[in-house]
Amino acid sequence: MIVDWAVLAEQFLHSFSMWWVIIPAIFLGLIVGAIPGFSAANTIIILLPLTLAVEVEIGLIFMVALYCSSRMGAGVPAILVNIPGTAGAAATPLDGYPMAKAGKGAQALAISFVASTAGGIITTIIALLTLPWLAKIGYVMHSVEMIVVMLFGISLIATIAARDTLRGLIAGFFGLMIGAIGADHIYATPRGTMGFLELYDGIPLIPALVGLFAISEAFMFIEGRSILSKEGRARMMISSWGATIEGLKITAQRWWHVVWTSIIGLVIGVVPGAGAAIASFVAYQQSKTFSKTPELYGTGHPEGLIAPESANNGVTAGTLIPLLVLGIPGGATAAIMLVVMQYHGIQMGPRLFMSTPDIAYGMIMAMLVTYLFMAFTILPLSRYMSRVTLVSTNYMAPLVIAFTLVGAFVPREYMFDMGLALVFGVIGYVARRTGYHVSAILIGVILGPLLEQYFLRAMRIAQGDPWFLFSSKLGNLLWICLILSMLIPWLMNRRREAPSRGDAT
Amino acid sequence: MSGKPLSEKKATGGQLIIPVAAILFTLYYFSTIWNSPFEAQVAAFFVGTILLVLSLTFIVKRLWQWKRGEINLAFDDLLGERTMRLRRLILFCLTLGFVVLIEILGFTITTFLFLASAMLLLGQGRHFDRAIGIAFGAAIGGYLLFILAFETRFPAGPFENFMTSVVGG
Repeated sequence: MIVDWAVLAEQFLHSFSMWWVIIPAIFLGLIVGAIPGFSAANTIIILLPLTLAVEVEIGLIFMVALYCSSRMGAGVPAILVNIPGTAGAAATPLDGYPMAKAGKGAQALAISFVASTAGGIITTIIALLTLPWLAKIGYVMHSVEMIVVMLFGISLIATIAARDTLRGLIAGFFGLMIGAIGADHIYATPRGTMGFLELYDGIPLIPALVGLFAISEAFMFIEGRSILSKEGRARMMISSWGATIEGLKITAQRWWHVVWTSIIGLVIGVVPGAGAAIASFVAYQQSKTFSKTPELYGTGHPEGLIAPESANNGVTAGTLIPLLVLGIPGGATAAIMLVVMQYHGIQMGPRLFMSTPDIAYGMIMAMLVTYLFMAFTILPLSRYMSRVTLVSTNYMAPLVIAFTLVGAFVPREYMFDMGLALVFGVIGYVARRTGYHVSAILIGVILGPLLEQYFLRAMRIAQGDPWFLFSSKLGNLLWICLILSMLIPWLMNRRREAPSRGDAT
Repeated sequence: MSGKPLSEKKATGGQLIIPVAAILFTLYYFSTIWNSPFEAQVAAFFVGTILLVLSLTFIVKRLWQWKRGEINLAFDDLLGERTMRLRRLILFCLTLGFVVLIEILGFTITTFLFLASAMLLLGQGRHFDRAIGIAFGAAIGGYLLFILAFETRFPAGPFENFMTSVVGG
């Protein structure tokens, strides 16, 4: 599989000529990404008759553009009203929302847009140049390696818990326990389902996300007339293009941060089933670990916003790699793309690059061009989008409750899921009021079932021998990285504290 | 239980809700896997045991502080501002009503009723026309965008059925 530069150049120019498909898809993706329950995958399924009817190339470009922009769209409500549009943006409000509350909504959106776009462009180029090698990641990541990747994500619970260790850990482990609801992966024994058949498949993620973030937040912010603080409101009222440009500058100054956190997203995106939620949490945790100012994370620190946004856009390029090279979809959206390609009789796998290189490279080029278009079409909107924070909570809270609850219904079309979202809303409200972090609960709900699945698979392969967890070279390397990522912040803290202790004596 | 006067002590009763709920849920969960195969138990017993230890530690710590008179176990931390308590409770009841009624009345009518009543509640009856206008616009806008344009299968009721018979589909 040798990269043909002539084909690439031709595809790049051709993708630009498809602006009339890409730009509407960008705006549609931005909208559906921003509404919980309306993921890119759902929307593409809804529009499947359309994508199957048009030429395969147009259909694929439309899907790729919608997929990329929906990732960015999910970050918009996460920043402005603390409600992630998808689980992939669940780490975004950790620092994005405090910025919006302080009246820096336009700046936060600009940071998010630039980090997303730059992360997307960087990872698309890397993906293009390293397709054959990256595709092998999917082969070498087995149960053991995946367990360590999951533990990287879960270690964020400890990061969040740093401010109040006990409550942080209770929230995280409570989430893991809730995530264990449902039938087990081997014997299908129902566990903790309270007799509800709807819970046999486990806790559906969208109702959990809607309840923990949207419903609970709506019940919280009705106490004030606006979600902004007094100073934040004053700053927001005089907000100008300067805030957007400032956001641009802040991200440009941290270009290296964008690069390495987006690569985390790319690598995790290549692994089928891992997804943007894990990538963004892992990137956030790693970003904080290696930061010179970890104490600022969670208070509206730009790096805490750049990391998850770069990473979840890095995932989009990563997801395409196993699809194109191996014919294995890396996620739900990639699976739908596979269906469309098969419908048109396109053969996946290595032959794709020989038989129809225009399709293979065309999809990645379409992604690159989409990100370039996004930079110019969406960035200028940040100033206007941030005005949402000025809307009175008297109107905002009911709108958020009604539309997100219906969003919880959409993925499975069970009325039960709306009730479940309300239950999670109550849990989220109690948690917020009493100092338990809802993000820690959500991480548990997302990662709990995955961790159990990989753990059981590993144990079964090893016939119950726990030393199997340390049996692979790559796994052991990841274990070392995990231990180092936990130890380094502790050592750095000690180093920072040492001079101050010296001064005191 | 001496220490500070009650009014000066920090109300932390609400902080016990999550640990107590976690303990009750974990014990219930254990009861559902007691006779299950080992594979169905192992992860839950591991996570559940840690959760039980953490929750009990937190509860004992708070009870110790309460015994020493450092905190009180009232629920003020959970309920928030006094002026908002009744409004929040009514909003919760309206939300519950929305979840129950949407299956019968469908998306558009239920959304309009919920939005109008919730906006009037939070605005204490002020800006009646604006609240009704926004509720109407959002409900109809939601219908046009999600049901008509995206063909999303939202809960259908009399309005959606009538519109389907008019516009087809």
